[in-house]
Amino acid sequence: MQNPKILLIIPAFNEEKTILNTLNLVKATNYDYIVINDGSTDNTANILYKNNANFIDLFSNLGIGGAVQTGYKYAYDNNYDIAIQVDADGQHDISYIDSLIEPIKNNEADLVIGSCFVDKKAKSKRSSKIRRIGIRILSNFIFIMSGGKRVYDPTSGFRAANRKTIALFSEKYPLEYPEPVSNYELLRSKHYVIKEVPVRMNKRAGGKSSIRSWKSAYAAFNVIFSILILSLGRKKYD
Amino acid sequence: MTSLQIEMSITAIVSFILILIFLKRSSLSVKNSLAWLLLPLICLIIAIFPEPLSNFSSWLGFETPSNFFFLIFIGVLFAICFFLTISISKQQKIITKLVQEVSILKNKDSNGKRK
Repeated sequence: MQNPKILLIIPAFNEEKTILNTLNLVKATNYDYIVINDGSTDNTANILYKNNANFIDLFSNLGIGGAVQTGYKYAYDNNYDIAIQVDADGQHDISYIDSLIEPIKNNEADLVIGSCFVDKKAKSKRSSKIRRIGIRILSNFIFIMSGGKRVYDPTSGFRAANRKTIALFSEKYPLEYPEPVSNYELLRSKHYVIKEVPVRMNKRAGGKSSIRSWKSAYAAFNVIFSILILSLGRKKYD
Repeated sequence: MTSLQIEMSITAIVSFILILIFLKRSSLSVKNSLAWLLLPLICLIIAIFPEPLSNFSSWLGFETPSNFFFLIFIGVLFAICFFLTISISKQQKIITKLVQEVSILKNKDSNGKRK
């Protein structure tokens, strides 16, 4: 693929503390970007407006899935070849974007996940032990349910999608806990290839994970339940 | 007629009229009103002719006809609630799509103005 059109999708919900920093980092890369302000109730929209950012202002909060999907729709409408999800809280290191898009450029993958668990030597400071255990359980669960395909970091929100996957996501995207669920959906389809590349993740500079600690048990249950329902053959992707 | 039958008839007629009023004000769509109109009608029929219900309920093994009556009504309410939840899920999808499309259009519009 020669000179693909690349878009960074940055979903932001109440990220007034970190959005400007992320925005400046993104602007420095010269990649196209779109910030999706998911009906923030703080100053996020103001900051974006004042800094002349390219952003879509969702007038009602849709949740992370609906917000990210808006980015994929935008990418699809504007004929981007590659779309990359980047968190607004500074957790994702933008310098890894090149290694994220490499497999797509070489037509090796339809979706690339930036994972901090692939390379075991690179110790991640990102997550608590409980969270890591939860992710490992989820990874094993997806491994079993997909018939032996491994994703080490199924919850990673640092992902790059090619045109085919952009088209799919803009049409259909899970509203809640979108990453593990959509990863699983792609894994069970014969027509999509997922690849993981090692990335280092920063400690979040501010804001909260959309999976908060007291909610994580519920989140885990919800993800597993969604995957079980999908495995029953609910509207397949292929 | 026993006093219970009279009370039940009055309640049924009043709720039927109330539903009709809401229908007339079109705060309730005709399609969604049918289930709710049926309930008081059934109540009224049972109030006027209670015999078939009590026979049927004792044949099924219920101790009193009222138990059977309650069970049926809980079942009907359950069904209505369930279909309401389905329609909420549908509408959530539609609203999500709507918010996305309108917001994308607004972004296009503001980009046009900037240039």
